[in-house]
Amino acid sequence: MTHEIDFDDIIAKYRSDPYKYIEVCAPHTGVVAFRVGKGAAVDAASGEWLHIPGTRLFEITRENNGKPIFSPIAGIVSELRADLEGRFVEAGEPLMTIRHPLKKKDIIENILKDVLYLFRAPEKAKYFFALDIQTRIDKKGARSVTIKPGDEILTMSLMKRDTPVYYAGEEGVIHSVYFEPGLSVAQGEPLIGICSAEKLPLIQKVITRVKAEWDNI
Amino acid sequence: MASFDHVSAARLKTHIDEVELPLRRSGAHAESAAEILRYGAFIGSEVHCHASLDRTMVRARRAINQLEEAGRSIRSGTTIIAASLTGSKGRFTRHWHAPPGGLWGTVILVNTLLPRFRNLLPQTVGVACCEAVRRYGVPATIRWINDVLVDERKIAGFLCESFTGERSGEEYCLLGFGINVNNEQFPHELRDSAASVSMVAGRSVDLTRFACDFLAALAFQVGLLHYHETRVLRQETEEHPHPLLLLWRELSDSIGRPVVYGFDVVARPQYRARTVEVTNDGGLRLRLEDGREIVEYSGEIRYL
Repeated sequence: MTHEIDFDDIIAKYRSDPYKYIEVCAPHTGVVAFRVGKGAAVDAASGEWLHIPGTRLFEITRENNGKPIFSPIAGIVSELRADLEGRFVEAGEPLMTIRHPLKKKDIIENILKDVLYLFRAPEKAKYFFALDIQTRIDKKGARSVTIKPGDEILTMSLMKRDTPVYYAGEEGVIHSVYFEPGLSVAQGEPLIGICSAEKLPLIQKVITRVKAEWDNI
Repeated sequence: MASFDHVSAARLKTHIDEVELPLRRSGAHAESAAEILRYGAFIGSEVHCHASLDRTMVRARRAINQLEEAGRSIRSGTTIIAASLTGSKGRFTRHWHAPPGGLWGTVILVNTLLPRFRNLLPQTVGVACCEAVRRYGVPATIRWINDVLVDERKIAGFLCESFTGERSGEEYCLLGFGINVNNEQFPHELRDSAASVSMVAGRSVDLTRFACDFLAALAFQVGLLHYHETRVLRQETEEHPHPLLLLWRELSDSIGRPVVYGFDVVARPQYRARTVEVTNDGGLRLRLEDGREIVEYSGEIRYL
């Protein structure tokens, strides 16, 4: 966890390039057929349950089974490997890059993710707080709940099989909650962000500073 | 009310040999029935019956840890049964009424399946229970994922929880089962939504025999998971369709129905949809009112 933050450096970085770049790779081997060109605007999945797919980026065909790949995020196609059109690629081959413009909220979240200890999803599944933690959150709010290594903090639910998830990080308060109980979380995505009590003022400083600086850009 | 005397590993084995195997030899897996049952033979490797417990899931965890403390490991398939429970619960904060007359228990499984096959463990208890209940002339069906209903009244519910041994770090899957067999009195709030085998069959049921029927069917279904996994890994068969899901589809009435879906559908219903199919990996494909589709791998449905 970062103890000191060079705000000027961070703000300058985001000011000069307020974008996030997402590389989209081939999910498996197959023949690629692009459905968007360089410079195209693409949308992310939408709908209340994220059930409306994003823009179709390309299809990858293996053994006559074509799989459409949709954009995971909104933005502009900034790089495209057009030379791979109609060619066979290996799994993991980068095919395009999407440039996603960051909002103030995204920037705060990005910086917080550098400062907080992130507890990540062990598997793609749905998550909910353990009953004891949920009760404490309901009573006092998440930022009043302190957790320590070994605490049962979450339940991972997949196909109605519930698996207790034990915390394995630094002791601290639950500062940020990144999941919603009804929505699936991909493996490796952050579930919660933890902050030790003495670092809470630093967190508040991050939020205040970015809000003030960003409004002036 | 028919009494619950005692289920033992030996009694279950006899039941499998004399009842379950002949039944399976006349079914969908006639030729491989004996081999599948051998794969599932560890179910009920030890059976511990109690007159009353708080919760069998709690007892199971304690038994695992106590044995580990003594430098031993629990036998996979160890089954804990109680004639009644004083602190039983369903998922989330739901209460489960478990008086004498029902079949209440937990099967402890050492986690040895690959994740893609292990994900189907919750379906094994639903299928096994539905098969056992139907043997008593009760037209039970399965509601995704594994609730067993009769005329839309719940006759059985299951909890599947992972547990890691505190000392060894060994991972277990605990299959908790609650089946209304001869218990006919339900709390006021459950009177319209619960039923028991005896209520529908019109007669009391030999609870020990029923327990053997259920556990023997479970031995077959869990055995089928292991048998199929082995065949897939040996490249003797395709991974899909999984034979367990084929059985599930035959027993379920969940497809093609208007439903409400929710991760915790009782406390927080999320959306209405029509069920389309169960996918080859056990997910439920739902069509929303706007025609879009979602596949859910967790959560619950209620019929509309």
